[in-house]
Amino acid sequence: MDFPDMLASSIHDIKNSLGVVSNNLAILIGDPETKFSDPQRACLLQHEVQRVNNNLIQLLNLYKLGENALMLDICEHQVEDLLEEVVVNNEAICKSLGVTLDYGCDPELSGYFDLELLRGVLESTIGNAQRYATSRIHLDAKYKDDYLVIQVEDDGAGFPPELLKVTGIGHHMIQMLNVSGRTRLGLLFAEKISRLHRTKERTGFIRIENGCTLGGGCFQIWLP
Amino acid sequence: MADALFAQKKFLVVDDFADMRSLLRGILYAIEAQHVDLAANGSEALTRMSKKRYDVVLCDYNLGPGKDGQQLLEEARHRELLGIDSIFIMVTAENAREMVMAAVEYFPDSYLTKPFTAELLRTRLRKLFDKKANLSNVNRALTTKNYARAISELDQLMVTSPKYKADYQKLKADICIRAMRYDKALRIYQDVLSVRDLSWAHLGVGKVQFLQKKYAQAESTLKELIEHDRTLTEAYDYLARAQLAQSRYSEAEKTLDDATKISPRGFQRQVMLAEVATANGEPEKAETAYRKAISVGKQSMKMQPAIHAGLAKALAANGRHTEALEVAGRISRNFPSHPQAQLYQATTTVLVKSDEGDEEGAAKALEGVEKAMKNLDPASISANMGLELVKTYAKLGHKDKASEVLHTVVANNHDDDIFIAEVKSACTNLDLGEIDDASINNIQQNVVKTNNKGVQLIQQGQFDQAIELLHQAADGLPGNRTVNLNAAKALILKMQKQGAKHEELQQVRAYVDRVRHNGPEDWRLIEVTNQLQKLVPTD
Repeated sequence: MDFPDMLASSIHDIKNSLGVVSNNLAILIGDPETKFSDPQRACLLQHEVQRVNNNLIQLLNLYKLGENALMLDICEHQVEDLLEEVVVNNEAICKSLGVTLDYGCDPELSGYFDLELLRGVLESTIGNAQRYATSRIHLDAKYKDDYLVIQVEDDGAGFPPELLKVTGIGHHMIQMLNVSGRTRLGLLFAEKISRLHRTKERTGFIRIENGCTLGGGCFQIWLP
Repeated sequence: MADALFAQKKFLVVDDFADMRSLLRGILYAIEAQHVDLAANGSEALTRMSKKRYDVVLCDYNLGPGKDGQQLLEEARHRELLGIDSIFIMVTAENAREMVMAAVEYFPDSYLTKPFTAELLRTRLRKLFDKKANLSNVNRALTTKNYARAISELDQLMVTSPKYKADYQKLKADICIRAMRYDKALRIYQDVLSVRDLSWAHLGVGKVQFLQKKYAQAESTLKELIEHDRTLTEAYDYLARAQLAQSRYSEAEKTLDDATKISPRGFQRQVMLAEVATANGEPEKAETAYRKAISVGKQSMKMQPAIHAGLAKALAANGRHTEALEVAGRISRNFPSHPQAQLYQATTTVLVKSDEGDEEGAAKALEGVEKAMKNLDPASISANMGLELVKTYAKLGHKDKASEVLHTVVANNHDDDIFIAEVKSACTNLDLGEIDDASINNIQQNVVKTNNKGVQLIQQGQFDQAIELLHQAADGLPGNRTVNLNAAKALILKMQKQGAKHEELQQVRAYVDRVRHNGPEDWRLIEVTNQLQKLVPTD
């Protein structure tokens, strides 16, 4: 067993332990008998647990990708169904953080993607945005230049400038992991996943910029 | 947000951890569910489901020892413990990728990755109830195997709710395959591919080509697909089948090796690998694969006595005869309600003892074979069992009996190319005198010829001649479903033109009963019984 395999099986173990933490926390929070001195902190804990969980899933998927063992299941899906689900799944946490989370999307919009992988990308991007948003996170999807563009933006301070220089170019992404500040793993994962989506002529990519419509960080995944 | 929708529904939560069960129940109460039952494992869940119709089953994939979530789903659907409008949600720890991509008969209606919130479950359930309501007529038609009806309902849905056209198209192609309307299925896949290059549609094309027996075409389609999508294990499965049907055993083994490396949990795949390794003379590899299959499929309804028999023979080939006899000796106990279990136990014991050099013991065990045979209708002997019998008789030098069974089993399964290839491969290792590939082809061709001649006579309107020919063939081969169905069809067509007679209706029912007895799952029965019901006797 080499190091990556050991790492992968450790991740499984950590994930299981985390599951116990997460479930018990959820039971405590959900139980009206529980008296927290500061309920806000309990919610933040839950939020962090969720983030660690997302990170572990991403690590596992990146490991599988490296081993050529990541299964890809690209089908046509309704985009609104996905946006609605990730928004409702994060609503409670956002509320406790004092952040509004909403989405805008043509109900007829459909696209070709791997549903669960893209869900992972959006969950972790929202998880990131939650840390930096001042009061709002907004999701949006539309077609641009024949690509399906799903965008997650917030009204926080935005991405640090050194990050903005390197997006969209695969191998530079690794270097980003050395840049301190925002969690890079999520972006690395998003970048890899975007590239798995391709047609004969075109390949998906991600783009990050600042100040789209809300003035903060703006993440986009472009899918052919 | 009050939700009267969930208040009336009956929920079942299946999870092996008590904490998790109460957490899930809490989530359900949070979305205003009122009727929530809990089960700690697969068998408890099945007991509950047999007593109460649940609208929603929320089931964890990992259920500890015993059945896993997928095996529970398969048994529940098979035993019709889930209504057509019931929703089964599989809860998984990571993404459900491997499960989604596996070649399984029944898919859950949805997957949820832990942890998830009450709000997500609420949104998902609302959509699922809508979707089920939309597909209600389609699913109703499917439960009675009325494929034509299911397809026309889907065609209507694509017009009335085009939003989910992509899902409906996929489902329609799937139903066309089940109904053996291969050209129609192929057209759907090609339509999809004309818009977008999608792996599942390429896989569909390969599947159809395989089923149409265009093996070389299927092979090139699937190889190209695998080239682009290395992790699509189902493509490997069909590629291996196409290679087996062309008697290319070592290539099939390589294909299955690659697939089991990607996904070792596939039960059917391990069984295939074990069988191929046996045919290729690699008993050690066969033993490993049989053991894996038995451990993965231990709790599955798909476990068969043939797989235990296979393990016993692999053990014998590896020189471990005592262990082999133990495995063989437990077959009837392991499969108490399987009609052919005793026979498998007996034939395996003969083969193991004979391999060990214990001729006396083998001859004695053969008496067990004869005894088990007396309790069985010869027409109901499966292809695999038939081949076991051939090997058993041949091994003990009963050439006449071996070739008699061989004739019957080849003639009864003349249109199963993978099986015919297996028979040929087995015969090269058996001393059966004049039986070789050519004579096996001959048996096969004779059935094909008679069958085709019958169909041709029907088309020419010469019903009496067709009926005479097919009647004789069907009586000679009561276990051959194709021939019996065609004999029934010839009579039906004649009655449709010339009026129905009591005696002929009786004859059709006899053919139908034979087919139903040997293959209750055979979709072709539906068409014949539907036509039969429309005939009113005139005499």
